[in-house]
Amino acid sequence: MNLHFSGNRALILGGTCELALALAHAMIESNLFPILACRDDKGLSAIREALASFHGRYATCYLNFGDRDSLDSTFIQIGDDLSFLVDFAQGNYESLIAGADEDIVYSYFMENISFRAEVLKRVGRAMLKKRKGRLVYISSAAASRPNPGQGFYAAAKLASEALYRNMGLELGERGVTTVILRPGYIEAGRGRIYLQKQDRKILEMTPIKRAITGEEIVQTILFLLSDSAAGINATEICMDGGLTSGK
Amino acid sequence: MSDTSESEGHMDVFAELKKILKELLDLEDRELTPETLLIQDLGAESIDLLELAVTINSRFKIAVKDDEIFLKRFRLYSTDAKKQGKDAVHFLAGRYPFLGEDRIAEIMAHIKEGPQLKIRDLISYVTYRSQGA
Repeated sequence: MNLHFSGNRALILGGTCELALALAHAMIESNLFPILACRDDKGLSAIREALASFHGRYATCYLNFGDRDSLDSTFIQIGDDLSFLVDFAQGNYESLIAGADEDIVYSYFMENISFRAEVLKRVGRAMLKKRKGRLVYISSAAASRPNPGQGFYAAAKLASEALYRNMGLELGERGVTTVILRPGYIEAGRGRIYLQKQDRKILEMTPIKRAITGEEIVQTILFLLSDSAAGINATEICMDGGLTSGK
Repeated sequence: MSDTSESEGHMDVFAELKKILKELLDLEDRELTPETLLIQDLGAESIDLLELAVTINSRFKIAVKDDEIFLKRFRLYSTDAKKQGKDAVHFLAGRYPFLGEDRIAEIMAHIKEGPQLKIRDLISYVTYRSQGA
């Protein structure tokens, strides 16, 4: 399937994760220009190493979730010319609700929800100038079916999904649309670690009896960014092999 | 700044705002004056105001706070002033330093008729912010 994209420059939040780097690779091959956001020099090195053969065909920027000053400098650096946003950024805080540290809870929600709302405001206004833009939020099947200990993670994901969904409702008529992807168990990043810890037994509960591959996620994101998926707006798509559809 | 140059500055801002409003609201043949009401006369909706704020920010290179420029909390501040036993006009002048007290009093006198945001209020905001305020 040949995909056509209306635009070129794509900001990738959480740009150092395995999926983000694979997506950047695929984007470059599709003649898109990814701008990968990272928190620090370590992240910058990881991006440069992963994309070493694509010098000049991508950019990087610093963005530290929760640090509002970094947001200003990031947008001064990358400017307003953005056609796409793909948001992988997500801090993790695993704890039973009744056992949580209040200070961590407050900062976790500030970083993962309030700060994200501010990022969305900036990106939305930049896209509104061109009356064109596409945003993809990478959520998780755990947003609707969390395991014990994932309450804060699920709450942050659901709140972030709501922000993206509303953005698509509010700006859709001006050409700025959103979609949320909820992957299930993935053979990449934290998902791979979790699957190894569980000795992969959890996959027996999945109708397709396997994890979703990183490549499947990447190709799905590319499709969601393309003109072919333009009618998919302000909604979530579950990509978990059917796991959350059954008992 | 002399009165003449200030007036010329207002005219430039007004001319640019007219251009922006005509583009955004598709008002090609509509006559716009500083007294035109954005919501009541032009039917501007919240998405239009958002786009207007973004365009003003871009064209005039000024920071725009949507709540401020569109007087979104005018009624709320007015109620707050009454609750606190303060003079509402003076209180609101502190919240909207780009509006004169005469204009604030005028808005208060007509607020029950609907949103009172006029093009002249946008001119005041842009002029105020352009001076580095």
